[in-house]
Amino acid sequence: MSTGTVFDIKQLAVYDGPGIRTTVFLKGCPLRCMWCHNPEGLSYEPQLMVSVSSCRHCGRCTEACPHHGLRCDACGACVRACPLGLRRICGMRWEAEALAEKLLRDADYLRSQKGGVTFSGGEPTGQPEFLMELLDRLSSLHRAVETSAYCSEAVFSALLQRADYVMMDLKLMDPERHRHYTGVSNEPILENLERLKASGVPFRIRIPVIPGVNDSEENFAATADRLAGAKTLETVELLPYHVTAGAKYEMVGLRYSPEFDGTRAPNLDTEPFRARGIPCTHL
Amino acid sequence: MKTEHIEALLDYFVVKKEHHALRRPEEDPRALAARFAAEGLDDMRRSVERLRYVLEKETPAVFPFERLALVRTVRTVPELHTQQEEDALRKTHAFHEIGRVFNMCPDYALLMTDGFTKRSEALRAQLEKAQTSAEREVLQAMLDCLGIVSAFAERYRREAERVGNREAAALLARVPAEPPRTLLEALEFLRLLHYCLWCNGNYHNTLGRIDQFLYPYYRHDLDAGLLTRDGALEELEEFFIACNRDSDLYIGVQQGDNGQTIVLGGSNPDGSDAYNELSELCLIASRELCLIDPKVNLRVHKNTPLSVYKLATTLTAKGLGFPQYTNDEVVIPALRRWGYEEKDACNYSLAACWEILIPGYMDLVNWDSMNFLKAVQDAVERLPSCANYGDFAALVRENIEKQAAALMEETKNVYKEPSPFMSLLCPDCLEKMRDISQPGKYNNYGFHGDGLSSAADSMAAVKKYVFEEHVFSPETLLDMVHRNFAGYEREQNMLRYEAPKMGNDDDFVDSIAVWLLDTYADALEGKKNDRGGCFRAGTASAMYYIWHSQNAPASPDGRSAHEALACNYSPSIFARCEGPVSIIKSFSKPHLVRTANGGPLTIELSDTMFRSGDAIEKCAMFVKSFMDMGGHQMQLNAVNRERLLDAQKHPENYRNLIVRVWGWSGYFVELNEVYQNHIIKRAEMAL
Repeated sequence: MSTGTVFDIKQLAVYDGPGIRTTVFLKGCPLRCMWCHNPEGLSYEPQLMVSVSSCRHCGRCTEACPHHGLRCDACGACVRACPLGLRRICGMRWEAEALAEKLLRDADYLRSQKGGVTFSGGEPTGQPEFLMELLDRLSSLHRAVETSAYCSEAVFSALLQRADYVMMDLKLMDPERHRHYTGVSNEPILENLERLKASGVPFRIRIPVIPGVNDSEENFAATADRLAGAKTLETVELLPYHVTAGAKYEMVGLRYSPEFDGTRAPNLDTEPFRARGIPCTHL
Repeated sequence: MKTEHIEALLDYFVVKKEHHALRRPEEDPRALAARFAAEGLDDMRRSVERLRYVLEKETPAVFPFERLALVRTVRTVPELHTQQEEDALRKTHAFHEIGRVFNMCPDYALLMTDGFTKRSEALRAQLEKAQTSAEREVLQAMLDCLGIVSAFAERYRREAERVGNREAAALLARVPAEPPRTLLEALEFLRLLHYCLWCNGNYHNTLGRIDQFLYPYYRHDLDAGLLTRDGALEELEEFFIACNRDSDLYIGVQQGDNGQTIVLGGSNPDGSDAYNELSELCLIASRELCLIDPKVNLRVHKNTPLSVYKLATTLTAKGLGFPQYTNDEVVIPALRRWGYEEKDACNYSLAACWEILIPGYMDLVNWDSMNFLKAVQDAVERLPSCANYGDFAALVRENIEKQAAALMEETKNVYKEPSPFMSLLCPDCLEKMRDISQPGKYNNYGFHGDGLSSAADSMAAVKKYVFEEHVFSPETLLDMVHRNFAGYEREQNMLRYEAPKMGNDDDFVDSIAVWLLDTYADALEGKKNDRGGCFRAGTASAMYYIWHSQNAPASPDGRSAHEALACNYSPSIFARCEGPVSIIKSFSKPHLVRTANGGPLTIELSDTMFRSGDAIEKCAMFVKSFMDMGGHQMQLNAVNRERLLDAQKHPENYRNLIVRVWGWSGYFVELNEVYQNHIIKRAEMAL
């Protein structure tokens, strides 16, 4: 019986695996990618989100706050107090059983639409017990996991035993640059990639293409070399960076300060992949 | 790919609107009526003379680069009556809007298959048989209308010849005297009839099932080797552009609300699929042109393949708010229940927005609207007298019945201007020697139903918080709505964002919505109007989502006073729904076969949902799944809130930004701010 924290459940997810799917976003991520567009998925804890730009500073939230606005433990007292409905608690604690039950209400629908459920994040392997229990409880559905693969071998192997489909991010091949831009080493990621390739589980690779960070021909070629010959690799998707990535930082009290020029169009050359026999698309 | 010819037409008529320079100044719309009154003309004669007046006043203008001629130079279509006469009529009669025949689907094929010469002969033959002066008068009026339109077309032909446009002249040498042979002749015939309807004072003139009645001409041209598929597409596109030439002169609540709809596909009486190559070309033409007219509807049924939904979704992806889907599996049985013959039911078309109607017959499908929220709010006023939820629901039922009775009462003794030209496009009028304004084969009246989700949510809030959990006393809840939640901000927040809302696949509230619609249908069931027809309940809002909200007090769903209702059959505009799947599950629960007058489930999806072929296919599967679950109508809109906000700030950069309003699409920057803001609000809630 495990519990976990979920920051969104999105129905009619059309980019998260085959068919019509419901995607569950698990909160918390060990990476700190400089381009992250879901900053509310970073912390493992429930947190307050405020649409700061529409706030009229009436002060009702502070009046309602048990800590007088000096600190926040996401108690939610201010949420109802806001006359404009600008505040919400992001991150809800769920028992795996209750969440599975909720998702299974749409099981017939999702099956009839050749889809299923997808677990994303944050980083879903960041809450391994919760994730594995959900995957077990939802075995009647097609289950996909979208992951950075930054996790232990044990967790990743457990995931591979349960998932019907994996969407894995591959950001940077160069270890130093990976560490610089994401805050962590890519070593466990690349090791898990080998496990994924050997697992027989169908998968796709997603590359968030960040101008000047990882859109060099060299990085694409190194990535493609790693992937060449993987039997169950369906495709590589290049996801171009979007300038609106920073939109939600203010809402969770963070600052968005990327070290790259987000206004420059990224290189979306699919050729390095296709030259190695790997289907590759970009949006 | 648009051809150079099409690009040139778009540039002239849509972008630069150079033809507007030909327009004459507005006239006093009552001046002609004063003359009619002085001459003592009756309404039938006036209607003929008005058509003559407008068409004779028109100055033919033919452009060298067009094939389908006809453009308006006269702005004003005069009234039939002086103000004094109209006031007198309004005292003794009910008026459906301004008293004209409107919001009909004319049966264009009827006249096209005959041509004017043959139809004139038929009218003369009927005149021989006519027994009464009324019969003679209507037949003579129809005959005169044919003469007036023929003379007008002949003037256009001469002008085409004069400017050296031989192709346009050749079309008009045959049209409208003889039946068309080719697709282009058929399109010019249709253009002429449609053009003259507006000049005749009719409005919300829909185009109907053009893929069906134009198909024989298309087939002929292809089989005879006269035309390629691309050539047909270009001809259709020229026709579509023609629908945008004069549309700013047409009557509507807002610019764009002009009723130029087409209806594609559908099932035939034998169950086969009526969707054909021409249906496909119409979808492609609309997608290529990105214009507000014609507004595209697609009839679907259980055998409609996913590929059709997929092509239609590529059109949705353009953000125009096309197509709107209507489900034969619900609508045809609904029409049969209301007494329509099977062949008519299978041939149904749509009105200006979504109301179901039969080509060539006049049902008054948009009479008025049941205000569900008001029925609940009036009951809330008596909440302290209720011992339990059952008592409260009984009050709501009583209010619905009262409103329904009042709506039915309003329809007594309707006045309709005679419309002999429209009668030429109606199958029974020739044979029965009757004007279309008079009672005919079908005389059914349709009412909308607005504010359903707010009403259901309000009842659910009362049930949960007052009677089940005792969070508020009846008096406290009443005080909250009377004070418009002043001093009750927390409670309002809770009611808005934490209470059960329709659209979450939650039976607690959805069952109330089912009950509300059943109660509405019950209140109309079996009742007859004074023309012998029935009353049809619907789920549309039309503009009442704004009109009925403007004076409405706060409601127990947390809605503030004056806050707008949802457009059509949709979750409340501030309901944070779990998602599109929950929404279609909620909205397919009601017994829609009883409330199928029209009114789509309207869902706004972010335009990012349509960025790949795979994603588009999934959106298409989603639409199909609602239909498979028994949904009656759906409107899917691809929206981008930032673009809308920017368009409000910089309208000059967004002249061509098209949005869905209630049952039609228009240019965003031409809408009143209240409608713009509602659309932005909907976009904020986009899924």
